[in-house]
Amino acid sequence: MGLKYIEEFRDADLAKTLITSIRQESKIPLRLMEVCGTHTMAIFRHGIRSVLPDSITLLSGPGCPVCVTAQKDIDAFVAFSRLENVIVTTFGDLMKVPGSGTTLARQKAAGADVRIVYSVFDAVTIAKQNPEKQVVFCAVGFETTIPTIAAGILMAKAQHLDNFCIHSANKLTPPALTALMETDGVDIDGFILPGHVSVITGTDAYRPVFEAHHIPSVIAGFEPVDILQAIRMLVLQNETDRPALENAYTRAVSDQGNLKAKAVMHQVFTLCDAVWRGIGTIADSGMKLNSAYSRFDADARFNLDLPEVSEPKGCACGDILMGLKTPDTCALYKRTCTPMTPVGPCMVSSEGACAAYYKYA
Amino acid sequence: MTSDDTILLDHGAGGKASHAMFSEIILPLFHNDQLARQDDGAVCEVPAGRLAFSTDSYVVDPIFFKGGNIGDLAVNGTVNDIAMCGAHPLYISVGLIIEEGLPVKDLQKILETMARAAEKAGVKIVTGDTKVVPRGKADKIFINTSGIGIIPEGVDVSGSRAVPKDKIIISGTIADHGMAILSAREGLEFESDLKTDSAPLNHMVKSLLDAGCDIHVLRDPTRGGLGTTLNEIAAGSGVGITLFESALPVKGQVKGMCELLGFDPLYIANEGKLIAIVPEHHASRALEIIQADQFGTDAAIIGEVTDHLPGKVFLETAIGGRRLVDMLTGEQLPRIC
Repeated sequence: MGLKYIEEFRDADLAKTLITSIRQESKIPLRLMEVCGTHTMAIFRHGIRSVLPDSITLLSGPGCPVCVTAQKDIDAFVAFSRLENVIVTTFGDLMKVPGSGTTLARQKAAGADVRIVYSVFDAVTIAKQNPEKQVVFCAVGFETTIPTIAAGILMAKAQHLDNFCIHSANKLTPPALTALMETDGVDIDGFILPGHVSVITGTDAYRPVFEAHHIPSVIAGFEPVDILQAIRMLVLQNETDRPALENAYTRAVSDQGNLKAKAVMHQVFTLCDAVWRGIGTIADSGMKLNSAYSRFDADARFNLDLPEVSEPKGCACGDILMGLKTPDTCALYKRTCTPMTPVGPCMVSSEGACAAYYKYA
Repeated sequence: MTSDDTILLDHGAGGKASHAMFSEIILPLFHNDQLARQDDGAVCEVPAGRLAFSTDSYVVDPIFFKGGNIGDLAVNGTVNDIAMCGAHPLYISVGLIIEEGLPVKDLQKILETMARAAEKAGVKIVTGDTKVVPRGKADKIFINTSGIGIIPEGVDVSGSRAVPKDKIIISGTIADHGMAILSAREGLEFESDLKTDSAPLNHMVKSLLDAGCDIHVLRDPTRGGLGTTLNEIAAGSGVGITLFESALPVKGQVKGMCELLGFDPLYIANEGKLIAIVPEHHASRALEIIQADQFGTDAAIIGEVTDHLPGKVFLETAIGGRRLVDMLTGEQLPRIC
């Protein structure tokens, strides 16, 4: 497994040069939001906050798919696991996320057939191997993951698997940025835009939000040099008052993105409104199965009747995801909400802002 | 009993089948005087001194993986736990809990590996027990090993003895075992030639002690990895610990797999590595001795003990940043994206 693209972008000398430049050039106090959870973790893991000047504050945004999954979706996953002859397949991150009652991990311990998969294709394989069971896949992801889920649906269709279905809690990034910019009180001087998501969407996907709000925006990769380079570009845009939509991850991200992946995504899914945990409903920010593939919809297949739920009292996940609060200012942080006993999903997901604060700060 | 047979409940019932399994399969492999007596327990000669005693159970899935299997893991694990007390391991016991239906040839392979591991470590398997449980009540085979060893006069090794300015040595690359197991698991189709690092570390420890190194702490960072073990030491000794990211030995393949899966090598299990915490003036000598051992060639000084923020472990990152290394909470789960 080649490491060429890890070591080069962890080069200590290059990183230190960038840090020196940022320290010299940054004068105006800036609040920069890293939209993506993987950036949040990378920033903490490499100690990037500790090397930045006091003028720069980094905020963690709504780009961790687990963190923004509505409690009702988690309740649905749990409800599927309670059904007879149903295997629930899920990415690992979701196992410990609390719904309004319990978690998939607890359901598994109590005897439910819940299996961690590394890709949707593993879930399709499980369906093929267990024709007498129904297999539900918990579809939680952004543009990075949605095309593979669509490909999984196409695979299930090609193999005539009538026992495979998904509950879609998929979400799109650009509509969330627009919603964020239109929220009262949100105070952000620049976006560090996601790397993986942008590989699929391309730079152009952010053009509408940029045109509407002229907010400095730079797409970044995930290594320290990538992130520092993006921060430096945002500093320069702010210092010169020349907001731009720039791409600092050109080795992976093009203007148009991955056309094939986008085509597969739109072949299977269609836009829908989606509930983002802590933020609320954002129009056209979700993706549900379109009519040609609706027979793979777990909700329709099992017709669950789940009660409306309210989010846990005191949990500041919503404000944290919008950069209005930092985890350490939440009343529950480190008191009732810890990685062992998470209240909100920002604490349970490995890429959640609260978990990152708890683990590294 | 032949290699083509499978283990049945009868083999654990204490009757003829049990005896056949012991005399035809187990005894020839583990042969030694104590075991051959078939008494209820082993009677062993021990030199004078303090006794170190440890036990561990092995439930690894899958039971066979690159570089080893549950058998040598079970022997090396207990040998190392005893060695980490500063002791020379002498005798171990083996408890087998077998799920009915296990092919006899699998059992033989595991026992052969255990016998070889015991020989390599220089310990005797002197007593044991075998139970067979119905299908589904265990997962193929579980093994418990317990062991005893003798601590030489004057040796005082403990997780509470780290003091500021001590140097921290790791005996080789981290996270090999955990990633080897993960890549062997069903459902994760990684092509890798990564092997477990399972190895006996008692000879390395003996060389350190024989050379008169004043070792303050010895630990093998198994489950929870280096990060978790160092947190335990920081708490136990009431000291701070600083690690240097650029000094941490991690294999390229391991780094790559961890990146893909979103794992941190600091929290991945090792089965053949030790952490030695030694006074500054003994550090280079201790490092040389560890590097001279066949299982210590990649050893490195990776950090130091401080009086800053007792109980906490910090990492100085390659780019000059600083961050907390917390104890692992729960199991590391693969990330979504």
